[in-house]
Amino acid sequence: MSTPSSASPLAELYASGSSRIRREFEAKGDGRAAVRARADLVDAIIAKLYQELISSEPVGPKEFCLVAVGGYGRRELFPHSDIDLVFLSTDGEGLGARREAIATFVRTLWDLRLRVGHSARTLKECSQLHRDNLEFNIALLDCRHLAGDAWLFGRLRDDAILHLVGRDRDDLVRDLAEMTRQRHAKHGDTVFHLEPNLKEAPGGLRDYHVAGWLTMIAEIERGGKLTPPEELWPAAIREVAGTAFAFLAATRCFLHWRHERDDNLLTYEFQDQAAALGIGHQPGIAVAAADWMRSYFRHARTIDQLAARSLDEIAPARSSLYAMFKDWRSRLSNADFSVVRGRIFPRQPAILNDPALLLGLFEMVARHGIELSRDAERWVEEAIRHLGPEAMHFPGLWPALRRILLQPYPADALRAMHRLGLLVALFPEIRAIDCLVVRDFYHRYTVDEHSLMTIQNLQALRPAGKTPTPRQRGWEQRFSEILAELERPDLLFLCLLFHDVGKGMPAQDHVVGSLRAVEPVFERLGLEPEDRETIRFLIADHLVMSATLLRRDIFDAETIRSFAEKIGTTERLKMLTLLTYADVKAVNPEALTPWKAEMLWRLHASTTNYLNRSLDEERLHFAHAHVAKADRVVALLGDSVSAGDVNAFLEGFPRRYLETHTAEEVAAHCQMARRLPQHPVEVQVRARERSFELTVLTADRPFLFASLTGTLAAWGMNILKADAFANSAGIVLDTFRFADLFRTLELNPPEIERLKDDVIEVVGGRISVKTLMTGRLSSAALPRPKVPVPTQIRFDDSSSSHSTLLEFIAQDRPGLLYRVSSALAELGLNIEVALIDTEGEKVIDVFYLTQQGAKVSAAMQAKTEQILLSRLETGPSTSNLPSGGA
Amino acid sequence: MTKLEAIIQPSKLDAVKEALREVGVDGMTVSEVRGHGRQKGHTEVYRGSEYTVDLLPKIKLEMVLADARVDAAVQTILRTAKTGKIGDGKIFLTRVDEAIRIRNEERGDAAL
Repeated sequence: MSTPSSASPLAELYASGSSRIRREFEAKGDGRAAVRARADLVDAIIAKLYQELISSEPVGPKEFCLVAVGGYGRRELFPHSDIDLVFLSTDGEGLGARREAIATFVRTLWDLRLRVGHSARTLKECSQLHRDNLEFNIALLDCRHLAGDAWLFGRLRDDAILHLVGRDRDDLVRDLAEMTRQRHAKHGDTVFHLEPNLKEAPGGLRDYHVAGWLTMIAEIERGGKLTPPEELWPAAIREVAGTAFAFLAATRCFLHWRHERDDNLLTYEFQDQAAALGIGHQPGIAVAAADWMRSYFRHARTIDQLAARSLDEIAPARSSLYAMFKDWRSRLSNADFSVVRGRIFPRQPAILNDPALLLGLFEMVARHGIELSRDAERWVEEAIRHLGPEAMHFPGLWPALRRILLQPYPADALRAMHRLGLLVALFPEIRAIDCLVVRDFYHRYTVDEHSLMTIQNLQALRPAGKTPTPRQRGWEQRFSEILAELERPDLLFLCLLFHDVGKGMPAQDHVVGSLRAVEPVFERLGLEPEDRETIRFLIADHLVMSATLLRRDIFDAETIRSFAEKIGTTERLKMLTLLTYADVKAVNPEALTPWKAEMLWRLHASTTNYLNRSLDEERLHFAHAHVAKADRVVALLGDSVSAGDVNAFLEGFPRRYLETHTAEEVAAHCQMARRLPQHPVEVQVRARERSFELTVLTADRPFLFASLTGTLAAWGMNILKADAFANSAGIVLDTFRFADLFRTLELNPPEIERLKDDVIEVVGGRISVKTLMTGRLSSAALPRPKVPVPTQIRFDDSSSSHSTLLEFIAQDRPGLLYRVSSALAELGLNIEVALIDTEGEKVIDVFYLTQQGAKVSAAMQAKTEQILLSRLETGPSTSNLPSGGA
Repeated sequence: MTKLEAIIQPSKLDAVKEALREVGVDGMTVSEVRGHGRQKGHTEVYRGSEYTVDLLPKIKLEMVLADARVDAAVQTILRTAKTGKIGDGKIFLTRVDEAIRIRNEERGDAAL
């Protein structure tokens, strides 16, 4: 069929109509009006074409009609959006007879430069579920009669679609939810892209429509009719969602006209232009680009929540495995909160006015990784409105926040707290980075989102009962192991939350700004001085590791030495490694390449090795250097001890001693050393979190370390970590962190004194370790290991100039350290330094050994290895235990 | 025209890039690569686990230059990437027949 006679006038009509719509938009900035006007314009063109090509009667022919679907059906036609049409007939014959007319119809529209998506369907086809083309089924929900048989259209709207939804509701909703999940995953599951896709990204226009479709499906089920979602939403939701939609609609119109195609990417360039024109605000009144983007994020967050709420309330199938799984979670309910269908509900809204319970709600999220119910979110928002400024100073804030940070899903809880405004209410410092855009070539997310993503990245390293994914078996597995070893992950997470707040502050260097901002936070949280020091260190140096691995030769020993000196301790190194991992990975999805991850891990491994192998090279010598921490110790001790006495005590200790102890602890050790003339064995036991710490100060002697490990083993204590250092004066400072497996000390505090007495008596040689140990180890059945750890013994003569390093790796078991240290003592080997560590069931011990003041001979190394292996195989031999410390 | 490929130490990237910019070489492709030449790598132990460092991380720079600029670029890389130790990397030069800028179809040196 030839081109219809009306083609040329139609082109003029479309061109003039489009120009008019654009002019009106540019004058008034009303995106909703523009998309409606374009739909009306296309309606007029289609009506004329229909009349010319299909039927001279607008309502004819019988049993055939033309239907607008999708965005066009909703009368939301953006300047370059597709026009989706369905040519509907009661049967195939009606379609076959009009095949050529339909082809001409569509071609004419294409010739007018309209992008048309069309299909010719029977009524029956419209009532079927198209699994390979779900978009078609969904598009039908927005159907609108354009021309032809109105009765037939009524059968489509009132019968076919209702029948389809009634029958296949679960499949439709499940597939829609899955498509949404995949789309969100493609866009990084976050609203906060620096250059977002206005339609497809989370919080984009597609999410607005997902919410609408789900609402319509629910209404079909409930009321049996097709109703526009806006008529169904409560007024409050309709208002905020409508405002958000209007903003996005105006911006999308602007983008389409600027790009001159259906391109919805809101790049920096177009953000600047939109802000300068006041798009979505007041047309013609410029706003700053950063403020304009904050408006965008606020609206996108509204729509994201609307879609999430709809998926939450409507998506769960009426009876499915999913629902059963979620109901299983109801067992997680407690006195304050219940878990229903996988969502948390406070039992009483009023309890959320108590800050402790308010935070307890988020602890529940962090503990189980499940979301708040929408009611709970509403009540939280209400509670936040009533929170006074005193909430920031709530005395239980740090313990409550700490509990959240220590759970398996801290990022989930912090995200929810931020989304609902609680994070900013408790920490106004975070307001500076709320939706903050800082433009560069690398960062893809806003600063607050980047910060939360760092925590998310570490959360993903936690096993949380899941088996590692194939990717995690690679480099991620190694970082996961480092995270599992961390003593204070809460401090690292707290640091990550604040490490970039300086980006929203006037300071030129954001690190300086972050350090300044975090001080009042420390005050309000009442953090311990050493915890503050750790976080300050991490924030101040949070870029040092990535700078070192990219700009220094990490295979050069001098690079490692100087980096290790800057970091100081293995614990800080672990935190900084994880911070760097999380920080780089949160820049954009591709930022942490396997190459960079490998470099980071190698820098970590080399530095750990350096820190563990250089202890007796790096000792304190006051004749050559001034040590700032010693001054603080002197100040703490006041007039009771002179600077000379402090220096004499510290002289010759490995540098690590000062780095792993606070000034207060060192001052206490100085005091203990001063009492040695009267009490030759000074002992201190203090409770720490989930463990105890034994500190012993005495003159060096053979079998000392073995005596102490033997005493602890006899008491049934499991040694987790230990350090053994000696100063130039021959004073030994041994520190043991141990787990009280049988809660002996916890339940019977007087037993602490008895343990101290035993230590003093054993070290003083008045009680034999043998007496204490008898029956203890021989009766201790070895538990079956979860993960077998092969025993490894390595000697290293090169790392220290005067000691031989023994690295000993084995399966942890009761009394193991005692077996090893007593064997070393029996062989006449002196432990100069010991670093004892336990990772799960793996013991990693490093001993700096000397044999008669020199390195250990090769023959003795071989003999030592043989004896250690036989001791591990046969168990302890109590017959040759030393009788005491001397 | 000549294609220049340089394998350098990662730590030298900033210095090399800056020095090349100063002699008028702005465009280049930078890749994170692994490999070894005569610097074969070694075995290390980390907390009881042994790992082999056989493929070392390097940076590969690629650029196509007008012949007149090649010497200056080579000398610049030699000067800035050299530490004198094994593992400093290598430079490879290859003749290139044609270069075409996709945007406007310019050819030859004009496309560089």
